[in-house]
Amino acid sequence: MIGWLDVPRGWLDAFGEIARFGSRVAGLVYSGRVMRYFGESLRQAGILIFGSALVVWAFVFILGLQCGVIGAYFNRSIGAPSLAGLFSAYCDLREGLPYAFGYILSAKVGTGIVAELGAMRISDEIDALEVMGIQPVTFLAATRLLGAWIAIPFLYLVGVGVAYFASYLAVVDQVGDVSSGGYLLIFWTYQDFVDVLFSLAKGMVMTTVIVLVGCYYGYTASGGPVGVGTATAKSMVVNIIMVHIIGMLGTFMFYGANPRAPIGG
Amino acid sequence: MMILTARTVIAAVRPPYPYGEELVGQFLFVLKLSWFPMTISTFALCLGAPGLQAAGILSLFGNLDRLGGFFVVTAVRFIGPIVTAAVVAGVAGTAITADLGARKIREELDALQVLGVDPIKNLVVPRFLALMVITGLLDIFAVVFGMSAGIAAELLYHQPLGGFFSTLFANALITDLAASVAMCSMFGAIIAVVCCYKGMTASGGPAGVGRAVNQAVVIAFMGVFAFLYVFTTVLLATNPELQAIR
Repeated sequence: MIGWLDVPRGWLDAFGEIARFGSRVAGLVYSGRVMRYFGESLRQAGILIFGSALVVWAFVFILGLQCGVIGAYFNRSIGAPSLAGLFSAYCDLREGLPYAFGYILSAKVGTGIVAELGAMRISDEIDALEVMGIQPVTFLAATRLLGAWIAIPFLYLVGVGVAYFASYLAVVDQVGDVSSGGYLLIFWTYQDFVDVLFSLAKGMVMTTVIVLVGCYYGYTASGGPVGVGTATAKSMVVNIIMVHIIGMLGTFMFYGANPRAPIGG
Repeated sequence: MMILTARTVIAAVRPPYPYGEELVGQFLFVLKLSWFPMTISTFALCLGAPGLQAAGILSLFGNLDRLGGFFVVTAVRFIGPIVTAAVVAGVAGTAITADLGARKIREELDALQVLGVDPIKNLVVPRFLALMVITGLLDIFAVVFGMSAGIAAELLYHQPLGGFFSTLFANALITDLAASVAMCSMFGAIIAVVCCYKGMTASGGPAGVGRAVNQAVVIAFMGVFAFLYVFTTVLLATNPELQAIR
């Protein structure tokens, strides 16, 4: 049985280890040593796209619907149903999308990496790699990070489009307080390209952290088949907290001093 | 999974009730796992999304006291349930799947059946009930910390708190809170069934348990969010009194 303070303590313990492991992996990617296995990186990017894209987009679609419904009813309640585009522009792009992306990525990709690498560790395949003269951290962790950096921006930008489409469906077709043109006018007024970049930056930082956490827990898994399951569960705890903290810090950094809204002077 | 749900509900109501001790154990287990991620996640999400973004817009209009009314809409109706579901599915659900999957791989579940102990009644039912109760209770926890994030946002903008509280209490309805808690209880049921099912059907050696956890958390997230959307739509469309800001 676990105690009341075990989760925060374990999280603090893991944090330093993950930071060290993560900086090592990121260093391998930045120094270009991962380029020796560039083919493997492309393969990992392909796995991400074919294995996770549909799930991610389906999740983002539901979030877009939810943002649209909440926004449409909220703006009806303040007597300005035509401004529903304001709420859904903020909810989709600035806040909701990075969080939804972080959730589903930590669920699908993060735990997937832990399960895969953990199984390799348990069946001694990682040791076998080392014996064969292949750097396991470079070959397994760094290629996955590079693969994620190659594939995720495109997944994310398509996800933005999917969420916009879902919000449009919810506001204009489902609730129907505002016409299509009125919605789109407000919707596009309250965002610009810089907002997309900010949102993408949040999403990419989350992706990096999730992949690194997954690689760390998979790489250090121990204790037989049961250990892999426990490591997977633990990685999820860290990911959930990190996603929220990154989202909050991103909002502080990008919008804390400047709401970036086209109102007044 | 539907069959498992039906069998769980039947086993829960039909006597005898041997699962009392396990129920309390699971309840405390989930609470001990979830309280810390819950606190940080709700506070961070509510401070960032509705706190700073909405306060930025409202401060342009000079009516920051309206943030209280906005927080009822977002924190109670939307963010509280979402964070509760994400934390319970991600933290407690994965732990349950890993636990049951480990027992399945070590053939403990088969051993239980040989001993004449029904695994559904003794393992699944207490987890199901414990998750249903505690997800609803954690939602109140989430709402409390969401509100304190709203207070923090007001203080960051150097506002007196009187306006926040007056619009907050003017807009808060029992219907909202009750709907939020009921929704979260259903989330708990969905998460428990998915995670127990995936744990009890884990197979395939060392990779099996990890893969079971992976699938369980993805399916739980999708199910919970789909349910959230349907529930919110029905709630808002059928309760017009929620649609007025006072």
